Amino acid sequence: MIEVKNLWKVYRTGNIEFTALKGINLFIGKGEYTAIMGPSGSGKSTLMNILGCLDRLTEGRYILNNKDVSKLTDNELARIRNREIGFVFQAFNLLPRLNALENVELPMMYAGISAWERRRRAREALAKVGLEDRMYHRPNELSGGQKQRVAIARAIVLNPSVLMADEPTGNLDTASSYEIMKIFQELNNDGTTVVMVTHEPDIAQYTKRIVMVRDGNIIEDRAVDNRITL
Amino acid sequence: MNILESFKVAIASILSNKMRSFLTMLGIIIGISSVITIVSIGKGGQSAITGEFNKIGVNVLEATIDTSAQINQNDYFTMNDVKNIKSRIPEVLNAAPIFQKGGVTVKVGNETKRAVVIGTNNDYNSILSVNMLYGRFISEKDVLSGRNVVIIDDISSKSLFGYVDSTGKTIKIGERSMMVSATIVGVYKSQGGAFASSFGDRMPVILYTPITFAEKMFQDDFRINQIEILVDNAKSFESASNSINRILSSAHHNKDKYKVDNLMKQLDEVNRILNIFTMIIGAIAGISLVVGGIGVMNIMLVSVTERTREIGIRKAIGATRRDILVQFLIESVIISLIGGAIGMALGILFATIIGSFLGIAPGISFLTVLIAFLFSSAVGIFFGIYPANKASKLDPIEALRYE
Repeated sequence: MIEVKNLWKVYRTGNIEFTALKGINLFIGKGEYTAIMGPSGSGKSTLMNILGCLDRLTEGRYILNNKDVSKLTDNELARIRNREIGFVFQAFNLLPRLNALENVELPMMYAGISAWERRRRAREALAKVGLEDRMYHRPNELSGGQKQRVAIARAIVLNPSVLMADEPTGNLDTASSYEIMKIFQELNNDGTTVVMVTHEPDIAQYTKRIVMVRDGNIIEDRAVDNRITL
Repeated sequence: MNILESFKVAIASILSNKMRSFLTMLGIIIGISSVITIVSIGKGGQSAITGEFNKIGVNVLEATIDTSAQINQNDYFTMNDVKNIKSRIPEVLNAAPIFQKGGVTVKVGNETKRAVVIGTNNDYNSILSVNMLYGRFISEKDVLSGRNVVIIDDISSKSLFGYVDSTGKTIKIGERSMMVSATIVGVYKSQGGAFASSFGDRMPVILYTPITFAEKMFQDDFRINQIEILVDNAKSFESASNSINRILSSAHHNKDKYKVDNLMKQLDEVNRILNIFTMIIGAIAGISLVVGGIGVMNIMLVSVTERTREIGIRKAIGATRRDILVQFLIESVIISLIGGAIGMALGILFATIIGSFLGIAPGISFLTVLIAFLFSSAVGIFFGIYPANKASKLDPIEALRYE
């Protein structure tokens, strides 16, 4: 599924070098639900970006679904982001000019799916996250929790093998966070692999496994005790 | 993403900022409309001039004395030359002598006008058909007996007498105090057309008289300085010209003193000058198109910066560099094309309006429109490629962080 071997990430700005990740080794199997935790500056977001094929590693190997993606071109990475990975961001990242349905259709446009089929699948995905009655609303007409649910619908609409979430509850109140966690657990129960970055320990309690990152190293990797199921 | 969807996205983006899109188009609109206006008016003027020339005659050669050479008294044409050209060259159908003199005064009552006198014979009318409105042209008898008769143009007749048909009236012609009376026997339509009327009152009277009368009138100044020659067809120009030159040189015992030109050659010259003129003004107008293009680039750069986050989102969910590039490129091309279409419509409108004031039909050709269309899309691509490329190269992570 996800396999990272001796992963290094070095940022260079002029003469200054900053090593964000120092030889990470990580394996995440199919159907897992993993929280990546750590204080800010620990490198957890960098790790997430590399796992999500948004960023490139400096050294090491990254094998996603039995395919080495460490050396792929920009276009090949774009295709992987499109087909194999679904993203959920802290800031929702919906396009403000498009309504919920059109936002969910967006990845399918880049996948070359016909307009009619896009509409059908987008409705289905929005129904899955409980937004069938908000399909024609624009993001500014939706609450934070609803926006994040649109973003989740967009992330899962192409049935990716892994759902990546970067602080998905960071901008949400407790009730909305609870809703989102519920959806994630449902998706995971249906077989979707979920990787989530968070710095909130209570949010991590909804997952099955916690990977702690500090100063570019994994310092702890454990199963979640007393997991909260919804 | 396919092209049709890229178009939809681009149009949505243009519509979301209507005022800005319109102002961006304005540069293209001004550029395209001014180029089309100028080129159409230029082409229209050319075909108007060509029309005037065609009226005069296509198969006409004109023998003149080369004024760049030293001219002796015996180099001037004689009536014998005219006769020889007419009878000895098979391609020549007719020939007429011309004595032309400017700076002549015409007097009717107390009114005087400047005039040009063209002394010729009855053959002239069959070579350069004169469009007679009233009366008749010079006859053979007029020439043989050197009658004091003239043919006047309609515009001068109107301004001298107040009416066009002045046949039977008497006018005085001459230089300084040496005035001779002559009877108007015909009125012809002035060939200047739209161009002549723009001279207004300064347009000289152009009188045709029997060459024999002109000889009596001007005496010492009289010499045949031109021969108009009608040939069977335009293909004979070359051979006829050579024969004419040969006949003239052997009769006058000289060399390289004569020029034989055809009117079409002069037309080519006029057209060439008009072409250069149109191109220069068109190029100046074209500069405004370039300025418009820079406006498009400027707005597209602003648009890319404004939409950095959108680009990041699109890339994160699977847009390739090409998808982003095409999206922005199509946007700038659409802006340029819409601007080009509006500019084209305005250009045709302006050309029609200006053309109606100048009295010429604007030459709006399919080619002009096609070139304008291609040019505006080229402007869109050329000035859109840099911003679009910049957008496509954005790093998704940095773009997503952009506030």
